[in-house]
Amino acid sequence: MSTNTALDQLFVKTRAENRAALIAYIPAGFPSQAGCHKVIETLAKAGVDAIEIGYPYSDPVMDGPTIQAAATQALENGTGVTEVFAALKHATDQGVAAVVMTYWNPIEKYGVAKFAQAIADNGGSGVITPDLTIEESDEWRTAVDTSSINPIYVVAPSTKPERLVKVTDQCGGFIYAASLMGVTGTRSGISSGAGELVARLRKVSNKPISVGLGVSNREQAKEVAAFADGVIVGSAFIKAIQDAPDEASGLAAVSHLATELAKGVREAR
Amino acid sequence: MSVLDEIIAGVKEDLAERKIPRSEIEAAAYGAAPVIDCLPIMRAQEMAVIAEVKRSSPSKGVLASIADPAALAEQYQEAGASAISVLTERRRFSGSLADLDAVRKRVTLPILRKDFMVDEYQFFEARAHGADLVLLIVAGLSDSQLHEFAALTNELGMRALVEVHTHQELERALEIKPELVGINSRNLKTLEVDPKAFAELLPELPAELIRVAESGISQRSDVEFAQKYGANAILVGEALVKAGDPNLAMRDLLGQRWAYSMLDSKLVIDGLGHFGPYGGRFVPEALIGALEELEAAHSSALEDPIFQAELAELHRTYSGRPSIITEAKRFAEHAGGARIILKREDLNHTGSHKINNVLGQALLTKRMGKSRIIAETGAGQHGVASATAAALMGLECVVYMGEEDTKRQSLNVARMKLLGAQVVPVTSGSRTLKDAINEAMRDWVTNVENTHYLLGTVAGPHPFPTMVRDFHKIIGEEARAQVIELTGKLPDAVLACVGGGSNAIGIFHDFIKDTDVRLIGLEAGGDGVETGRHAATISGGTRGVLHGTRSYVLQDENGQTIESHSISAGLDYPGVGPEHAYLHDIGRAEYRAITDAQAMAAFALLCKTEGIIPAIETAHALAGALQVGNELGPDATLLINLSGRGDKDVQTAADYFGIPL
Repeated sequence: MSTNTALDQLFVKTRAENRAALIAYIPAGFPSQAGCHKVIETLAKAGVDAIEIGYPYSDPVMDGPTIQAAATQALENGTGVTEVFAALKHATDQGVAAVVMTYWNPIEKYGVAKFAQAIADNGGSGVITPDLTIEESDEWRTAVDTSSINPIYVVAPSTKPERLVKVTDQCGGFIYAASLMGVTGTRSGISSGAGELVARLRKVSNKPISVGLGVSNREQAKEVAAFADGVIVGSAFIKAIQDAPDEASGLAAVSHLATELAKGVREAR
Repeated sequence: MSVLDEIIAGVKEDLAERKIPRSEIEAAAYGAAPVIDCLPIMRAQEMAVIAEVKRSSPSKGVLASIADPAALAEQYQEAGASAISVLTERRRFSGSLADLDAVRKRVTLPILRKDFMVDEYQFFEARAHGADLVLLIVAGLSDSQLHEFAALTNELGMRALVEVHTHQELERALEIKPELVGINSRNLKTLEVDPKAFAELLPELPAELIRVAESGISQRSDVEFAQKYGANAILVGEALVKAGDPNLAMRDLLGQRWAYSMLDSKLVIDGLGHFGPYGGRFVPEALIGALEELEAAHSSALEDPIFQAELAELHRTYSGRPSIITEAKRFAEHAGGARIILKREDLNHTGSHKINNVLGQALLTKRMGKSRIIAETGAGQHGVASATAAALMGLECVVYMGEEDTKRQSLNVARMKLLGAQVVPVTSGSRTLKDAINEAMRDWVTNVENTHYLLGTVAGPHPFPTMVRDFHKIIGEEARAQVIELTGKLPDAVLACVGGGSNAIGIFHDFIKDTDVRLIGLEAGGDGVETGRHAATISGGTRGVLHGTRSYVLQDENGQTIESHSISAGLDYPGVGPEHAYLHDIGRAEYRAITDAQAMAAFALLCKTEGIIPAIETAHALAGALQVGNELGPDATLLINLSGRGDKDVQTAADYFGIPL
C-alpha cells in the first residue's frame, strides 16, 4: 500500500529541511461555513504545512470542552458530509496537504469505500480515525488502499509495545501520537509522555510521527518539534476564534498564532 | 498415466493384499448394522455438510496428522455435519479401514467411505465396516462398471455419491439415476481446481438430487458461490482438518459462527466481542489497555471460585437474592387471561436489577487494584447502585448524569449524595444519558490508571456487553427454575423492557437455548415511533457505531446521533446493546415499541391490581405483557422481568396522572 499523497510529500520535504511540519486542526463549519474557509486560507498563508478538517460529531468522546463547543456550533450551522468535503477541497486548493479527522460512525454511515474515494477526489491525503481500532479496520484498509490515501491511526502513551508495532504498521502518512492520556484541549505544559512515546515509536517504525493534544504556543511547538516530525495544534486555534469579539479579530488571532507556531517548529533543531 | 490412473493402480494392489474370501466379506456386509440413510438428514439442511476425515491429499500432501480420527468425527457431528466422510485410501490419502472402524464406533451420522471404488469386493467391504455411502468417480469407471456398482450399492442398502467433473461425465452419471451427485471442481487427471465447474455443472443437476459441491471450498464465499449455482451440500476436508477449531471452521463456512457461539454461551464470542456484525471495540487507543485488563480480570474471575463465592455471598446477604417470583393474577385478567409471572428484581437492594452488575464490577475494580469508579446514569438507578457498591467496598465514586435527568430524578441524585458519591451534572449535548456516557468516557481516558468505568448496561466496547450480561444472567437462571417449579413447564414468552438492554439480556440469556420460548423486548416508543420522538432503537434505528460498539443507533443521514425521547429516563438512550441487535437479526428475539401512554396505563394497572408500583421503565414490559397475553390467550404463560420499583418515579407519575403533591 504505497501512497504518494501530498502528506507523504510534505514529510519528505520537511525531513529534508530538518524541521517538523506544523499541522492545524479546524472543524468544518466552524465558526461558519464561510468562516471556516477563511480560517483555512489564513492558516495556509501563515505557514501551516497541513490542515486537518474535523468532521463535527454529536458524541465526541475524545474531545475536551473547546472542540466539543466548536463541533456543536458547526452542527448547528448545518455541517454534514458535503460541507466537510468542501472544506477539505478548499484546504487542498490553498496548496497545503489536508486530511479529515473523524469519528468512525460518519464514515460507516456514508459508506466506507465511498468515503475514502471522496477524500481522494477532493484532493485529500488521508483520514485520521481516533476511535477506529485496528481490529475493526479490515474494510477501511481495503478502502484506503483502493483510493490510495493515508490511514492515520492514533497511538497513546498507554499503548503496549507489541500493539504499537501492529498499529504503526497500519498507519500511512504519519503516526498520530497522543501526547498524554486525556482528551483534546490546551495544556500549560507538554507531558513528558510525549517524548517517551515518540522514542518508543522510533524503535518500531520509521514513518513520520506527529504529536497532538495539548500544544498551544510557540514554546511548546518548539519543544515538540525537537523530537517529532509533525506538531498538531487544534484547540488553541479554536479558542482564538471563540475568544475573539468578531470574525476579523478572530482571523487575525489565528494568523498570529499560526505564524508563531510556524517559527516554533523551525527553531527547534 | 494420469494421477487418477496411478491412484487406481495402487488401490488395486493394496486390495489384492488384504482380500479375504468373497463369501466371508459378503457375510460380514449383510451382517453389519443397518444402513443409516443420509437422504432425509441431508435434505433437512439448507446446506448440508459432508465433513471429511482426511490426513493428506495428492494435491497438498500432508494436511494434518489426525491422531484420533473418531474424536475429529465427533466434533464434526457436534458442529452439525450431516455425514462424515472417511478416506480409506492409503497411499495418497494416508487413510485406512481402521479409521473407518474407529469413526463408526463413535458417530451416529451416516458415513461415506471415500475411496476409489473399482472392484465389487470394495462395496461389500465398505458395508462390512459400517459405511452408509460410497463414492463412484465417473472419470475412473466405464459405463458398465457404473451400472454394475450402482446396482450393487443399492442392493447393499447404501447410497452412492456419484462424482463428476465434466459435462460428459455428468451425462454418464445421470444414466444411472443417482440420488447424490457431486460436482468436483478438481480435475482428477491434473489435480487442478476450477470453480467454474460449479457454475457450469451445478445448474444442470435436477432439483430432486442432493447436489454436492466438492473441492476448493475453503471459505464462506466459496460456499456462497456454490450455493448460488444450486449446491445444497458441500464436501469439505482440508478447511476443517487444518483449522484449529473444526467446529468453528464449519460454522464459518455455513455463515453460522455467531449463532453457534451464542447458543453455546461462550463468554467471548470471537475474542473481539462480536455478535455477528455487532459489538466490537470502537474506542480511542488510550483505552485499549484498560479494556484488555478488564477482559482479563473478568475472565479470570469467572473461573475463580473465591470470586464467585464472594459475589454469591453478596447476592445472598446484601442484595437479597434469589429474588422471588410473583404470579400476578388480577393483572392477568387484563392480559387475555394468560398466566403472568413477575420476576421481582424490584425487591433487590437499591430497587432494581442494577445491583447484580455493580457488585460484580466493583469486585473486579478491587481485583484490578483500582480505587475509583465512575458511572453514568439516566434514571439514577445505576448511579444509585454504583454509589451503593462504592460505599460498601470503600471506593471513590463519581456519577455522571445529564443535567436534564438530574432534574427529572432529583430524588435519586439525593440518594447518591447520601451514599457518598459525587454527582456531576452533564451540560453538553442533549444533557441526557448519552452525554453522561460521553463525559464518563472522557474521564476514563484521562484517569484510566486508577479508575474503572462501571458501565451500567450491555452496551459499550468489548468486554462490557458480555461482562454485564454475565453479571445479570442470574436473573434468567433463577427465573427459569422458578417458573418450571411453579408451572411444571417453560413459559411461552419472556418479556423485558429494553433501553441499553441489561435487564432484558439478564432474563433472556438462560432461555436463548430454549428455542420454543419467545423472547420479547419492549422498547420505549415515546410519542410513537412514527413521530420520530422515541427511544425505540431496534424498532426505529439503523446500524451504526455509538459509544464504542456497533449496534442499532438512532442517527441521521450524516451519522449524527439523534436525541431519543421517552417518559422513562432509564430507557431514554439512542443506542442498544449489540447482543440485542444480533438476537433481533437472527430472529431469536422480537422487539416492539411501547408508547409513553401505553406504559403509563400499564403502570397504573399494576399499581391497582397487584399493589406493586413498578418503575416506569418496567411498565413498558408490563404493557407488552398486556399485548402478548391478549394475543396468546388464557393457555399462555408469560414471564415478565419486573426490573425495578417505582419509588423514584412517584413525582413523574403524579405529574402524569395529575395527582397534586
